[in-house]
Amino acid sequence: MKELRLLLFSLTLALAGSSAFAAGPVAWGLEDYASEFKLFSETKTFDKASWAALPAQEQERELTLARNPAAARLAAVRGWHAAAMRKWNTRELKGYTAGIKEKDLQSAELWLGRAAAAELKKKLELVRAALKKAPAEGLNNDDVLALAPHLTPEAVNDLRAMRAAAALTPGKKTADPKSASTAALEKFSASLPANDPAAVAKFFDGSNARGDAAVNFPGAAQASRAQAGGQAAALKAAPATQVKAKVPAPLPQQKAVEPVKSSAWTSDAYGITIETAQGKQSFRDTRAAEAAIRQMPAASVKKITLYGHGSPGMQLVGPSQFDALYTAELLDGKMAKDGVIQFAGCNTASIGGATLNPAVGISMVARRLLYFSLPYWQDRMDGVPADQAKQQWEKEWDADLARDTSTLVKGAVVCGYRTFGLVPGRLPGLTRVMGNQEATTPGYVAGKKACYRDGQEVAAQ
Amino acid sequence: MTDLNYILETVLLLAAPFIPVIAGLLLRRKFASAEGAPRTGVQKAGRLTGNILLWGGVLGILFMILLLFHFSGKL
Repeated sequence: MKELRLLLFSLTLALAGSSAFAAGPVAWGLEDYASEFKLFSETKTFDKASWAALPAQEQERELTLARNPAAARLAAVRGWHAAAMRKWNTRELKGYTAGIKEKDLQSAELWLGRAAAAELKKKLELVRAALKKAPAEGLNNDDVLALAPHLTPEAVNDLRAMRAAAALTPGKKTADPKSASTAALEKFSASLPANDPAAVAKFFDGSNARGDAAVNFPGAAQASRAQAGGQAAALKAAPATQVKAKVPAPLPQQKAVEPVKSSAWTSDAYGITIETAQGKQSFRDTRAAEAAIRQMPAASVKKITLYGHGSPGMQLVGPSQFDALYTAELLDGKMAKDGVIQFAGCNTASIGGATLNPAVGISMVARRLLYFSLPYWQDRMDGVPADQAKQQWEKEWDADLARDTSTLVKGAVVCGYRTFGLVPGRLPGLTRVMGNQEATTPGYVAGKKACYRDGQEVAAQ
Repeated sequence: MTDLNYILETVLLLAAPFIPVIAGLLLRRKFASAEGAPRTGVQKAGRLTGNILLWGGVLGILFMILLLFHFSGKL
């Protein structure tokens, strides 16, 4: 009996002690809350003194409120830094060297540490020096070697050509009968998205259709290189604003994501929305969303909605593409039990069985025309044999992204649309009235939904 | 032969939305009443069916146009 009393007494003491410890003040900069304190510092919400003056309960509340914004901010800065450390093409070179300011480097240092910021600073100094040297003295082999880890070969070539271009440029501008058309052409080529076949296709025909194996344009690049000084012109024409050179602005603290009000007539709505036990987070920047997902603990995602244009076997979210493999790799182990992956895009499930619904029927007719007939005849006109074109497109036009993903993400419910999904909020005019041009969730979708778990159809969720 | 099949299929698919429109127009004409004369029950039912097919078909065509815009990234 005595032992039992002693045990109970010890347990009571331990419980009281732990609760006292939990309710105690949190020291400024404590490693467990590193991200939250970085956010406080960056947004100047608190400093060491004002933090110490807060009661313990208030501190706990502030830390809880700051958790999600801090994680999102860290993911955004990390994504930005990773992009800035990749090899730059000519357009990015211009954008980053002009865009990155001391403040951005300070943000990088705060969030990612001194080494990461120093790495970027070194790259920036090297490229800025080369940019200064290139037109005046030209680049020697040592310069080219030093730049090779930081720039694409095309960008290095463009830099090397600046000296030749500078030599060719006359002191005084002479009247050129073709100057107007040349200027127009330069403006046009500068607005072309470089090294991104999907973006190029979108630029020309606005098409989001799949079936676009990565295509490079070596011929075009060679033709461009053949023009003396053309590169230098491209360097000048490359608009700095197209590159996200600056560290993303800090997220407003403790504020829910609100739909951006826009006055545009048409919609450019897309985004990723993640629901966890901590709440809901919406992202328009898909890189930030992916970074946030990768940081989440296992089995924590209750629902994820990928919203954008869809096509058989593919979901687009802004500039990013999600097929079954990529989605499964991204969400591997992250889905909670009975968690839902919602592809909110047209034709992201297969057509399914026969139906009497005329709206569904007409959507199916349109799908067959757009994703079979049209590409089939395009292939035939390009000289592809009939059997080969038939085999290719018969397989593709009725692809089922939701089912394929469900076979890869075990246990999760994966939903897609069997039809084209009409989102009222996307209709021109209505978009303007509703002010949701950059919405990250679709709201109501008029379409036929299908859901799968482990490859088997289940009730729509 | 493969091409021939798919030409036929494409023509039929493209024609599909027009079929209810044509059927609706034919029904409206078939069940039209003489000028001034009151419509019989059969005429009323025939014209109602014709109207549903006609306007349903028109909506279907508009829907297809909407989808085309959507596909080409205009929406």
